[in-house]
Amino acid sequence: MASERAAFLTQMVEVLTSTVSFGERLSNMVHLLARNLKVDLALYFGLDKARETLLLNVSSQGPVPPHLRLEFPLGQGLVGETARTRKFTVVHRRQPGVSAANASLEKLHPAYQTLAGFPVADDNFLYGVLILVDRTERSLTSAERQGVQLTCLMLAAALRQAIVQEEAKKRIAELSVLFEVGKALSSTVELDELLERIVSTTAKVITARGAALHIFNAATGEVRVSSRYGQIPPESPALPQITPSGAATEPPYYEGESTDTAGHTHYCLAVPLIFKGQLTGTLGVYDKFNPNGEYLPFDPENRQLLFTMAGVIVNAIENALTYQQVEDLAEKNERMVRNLTALQEISQVMLTSVQEARLQEIILQGLTQESGLGFDRAVVLMVDEATQTLRGAQGAGCSHVTHDLPNLQALQVPPPEMIPVLDWEIPLRVDQGPLALAVLRKSPYHHHQTVKEPGLPPALAGKYAAQEFFVVPLVVKDRTTGVILVDNQASGRPLEPERLDALQMFATQAALVLENAHLYSTIETNNRELLLIRERMLESDRLAALSSLASGMAHEIRNPLVSIGGFARRIAKLVEPNSPLRGYVEVIQEEVTRLEKLLREILDFTGENLSYYGDHELAKLIEDTLILVQRDLDANKIKVAREFAQLPRLHCDDRQMKQVFYSLFQNAIQAMHHGGTLTIRTFPVERPDGLYAAAAISDTGSGIPMEVLHNIFNPFFSTKDYGTGLGLAIAQRIISRHYGQIEVNNEIGKGVTFIVTLPVAKYCLVKDAGQGAVPASVLKVPKGGR
Amino acid sequence: MKKILVADDEMSIRLLYSEELKEEGYEVYQAANGREALDIVDKIPLDLVILDIKMPEMDGIEALRQIKEKRPDLPVILSTAYGEYKQDFATWASDEYLVKSSDLEDLKAVVKRYLKE
Repeated sequence: MASERAAFLTQMVEVLTSTVSFGERLSNMVHLLARNLKVDLALYFGLDKARETLLLNVSSQGPVPPHLRLEFPLGQGLVGETARTRKFTVVHRRQPGVSAANASLEKLHPAYQTLAGFPVADDNFLYGVLILVDRTERSLTSAERQGVQLTCLMLAAALRQAIVQEEAKKRIAELSVLFEVGKALSSTVELDELLERIVSTTAKVITARGAALHIFNAATGEVRVSSRYGQIPPESPALPQITPSGAATEPPYYEGESTDTAGHTHYCLAVPLIFKGQLTGTLGVYDKFNPNGEYLPFDPENRQLLFTMAGVIVNAIENALTYQQVEDLAEKNERMVRNLTALQEISQVMLTSVQEARLQEIILQGLTQESGLGFDRAVVLMVDEATQTLRGAQGAGCSHVTHDLPNLQALQVPPPEMIPVLDWEIPLRVDQGPLALAVLRKSPYHHHQTVKEPGLPPALAGKYAAQEFFVVPLVVKDRTTGVILVDNQASGRPLEPERLDALQMFATQAALVLENAHLYSTIETNNRELLLIRERMLESDRLAALSSLASGMAHEIRNPLVSIGGFARRIAKLVEPNSPLRGYVEVIQEEVTRLEKLLREILDFTGENLSYYGDHELAKLIEDTLILVQRDLDANKIKVAREFAQLPRLHCDDRQMKQVFYSLFQNAIQAMHHGGTLTIRTFPVERPDGLYAAAAISDTGSGIPMEVLHNIFNPFFSTKDYGTGLGLAIAQRIISRHYGQIEVNNEIGKGVTFIVTLPVAKYCLVKDAGQGAVPASVLKVPKGGR
Repeated sequence: MKKILVADDEMSIRLLYSEELKEEGYEVYQAANGREALDIVDKIPLDLVILDIKMPEMDGIEALRQIKEKRPDLPVILSTAYGEYKQDFATWASDEYLVKSSDLEDLKAVVKRYLKE
């Protein structure tokens, strides 16, 4: 008996310590128990993880088909009762309540009479319950019982070991997965690459056919980036909707299955990616498969693993996203820096020249070169103020596309071709299209096909065509001096709106340098004129020196000549008509006359009558003279009121004219030594013989006494209040020499007005037309004008 | 008989003018500069003055100014070798401005115009 028991136990130990898998060992053991104890059936019920239900795992009759996988809650039936009490229990069917409580066992053994339950437990843990079933009503001997109990203890130990082993294996698997994931994550910061690695690693560790990762845009909820790996069944949702799971302790996840047309079931499992408490994306796996290639549903362990992975990768993804944003920004910055550098380089080049034409050339190069703004074509048009038109200045561009060439070849790109634009002429009116509008509105314009605004003006028909173009005004000090027109017609590349910003920055620079060049050329012209004048003055100085020498000599000769000639004439009168002396005297007379004639010619040539006639503005003459009397005006507290009309210039000797006004102002000042107002008015006067310019100079003095009025233009006439003696006489002579008139309006007690009327320079009318002066023909004489 | 003063620093000119004017029937006085001319204007009731401009001590322009102050009614003919004094405002107070010539017909015609009854 004892040896029997020992043999049984030995067999049990052998079975339990064999090297086959634990499931097999368990199955062998149950089988052995049934045979040795001569019972019909031995069953092992395992306690589930929740420790609430006992589940039939192993039967001595072989594999348990799904429909026979019996379940007993803790405390129910012999199975539940044995587990609850952890005590060996034997029941018989005939005992009250046994049949009802263990009804489901009838599925396994319809005719059972005896049920014996053994807890499989160690000191602190219950693993399951071993049930022996037999058709006879029997009990177990104590030896049998002890043997089974010992077996159960060993089983418990083996189970514990197996569980520990399983746990360790799982832990190792998880760790190795995490290691794999960590390796993948740390290998790159490139977002695309990172995502690829994440999905491929995920699929591999879960042994799924496919995996997909989606990152959402936090603001809009739209998918920002996604990455896929392997096969994703078309029936599966592209973007699994994560809904909260039933268990409150678990984070939400998605689990779904679908059947394809061939009848295969596909599975999908997805978990959320949560960063700082916010849903940033999902990580999903599709179709787990076993070594035979069969699709399997995902189990809670897979889910757990996926959760763990999601937690690890979400940080890496966030980092990569941030990195990418930084990179994007850096790239944007770099682009801006490139733009700015190009602009700076161009403006530096622009500063190297002050010639308008050369500058326009540089501007065109900056606009069309790849290292600059890189447009296909560019045209500079300048505003012509005189005609109020926009005229083509220079244009350049390529009709061939060079932009896609590799760098080496790009270096050999031929210089841009010049576009003939000199015949472009667009009136500056609002109905003349975008170029005129850009000037008038001082605003840039982006023309593209969808814009329904008027296109190019008729003036450009047949000369220029583009589907899309930019126009930017060249504005300096609130004045538009021209426009820049660019397009990408040759290559067909679109004009991005941000290029317009760069172009505007460029235009600001270009406008400034062009304006500078314009000012410079004006200065240059003025300088040239000044130089010419200076040369002329030097020339005339030399002539003057020469003439002063010549005239000095001529004058010295003239007096003796007068005496010689004069006396010769007297002698001639006294000589007898037939005397030979008469001939001699006549020779003297003739020679003197010849010399006198020669003298006159010399003196005429050397500028005996030097005058300084030129074209002068009446207002300027008056202003210049006012400066001379400013001190006197101030000293006498005299205000000056000016009413100057726009008048053509006068052809006059400015020094003499200033002398006239000086005399008139001095008279006025002397008439107002107690203060007053000096009013100066200029106005045009139209007369049958032409246009005159008039200046009226009024004082607020006491007026000229009637008895002396008629004498004021006489030389050396002077009164207490008016007149510097010669002043008015001189003024009158100067004015008459200029074919003008001077008149006086005298109002006793109110003041005197002198009106000087002078003809305007006729040829000035043509010359002044375009320079702001008013042509004589359009001047209208105001009513009451003189 | 009308009285004419000839003021010129050149003796030969004074002599020539005097001879010619006497022949025309005038009484001729002579002065070698402006100061002498003014003295004679003060002393003699002259009918006309012929003034040279460039003279020592007092030139003809100053003499003209003073003569016109004393006797604005007295005709003064400037007779000078210089044409450019015409530009000088001061000479504009004279009644005539003649550039000297060996042909005295112009001078005599002007004198006659001023002195005819």
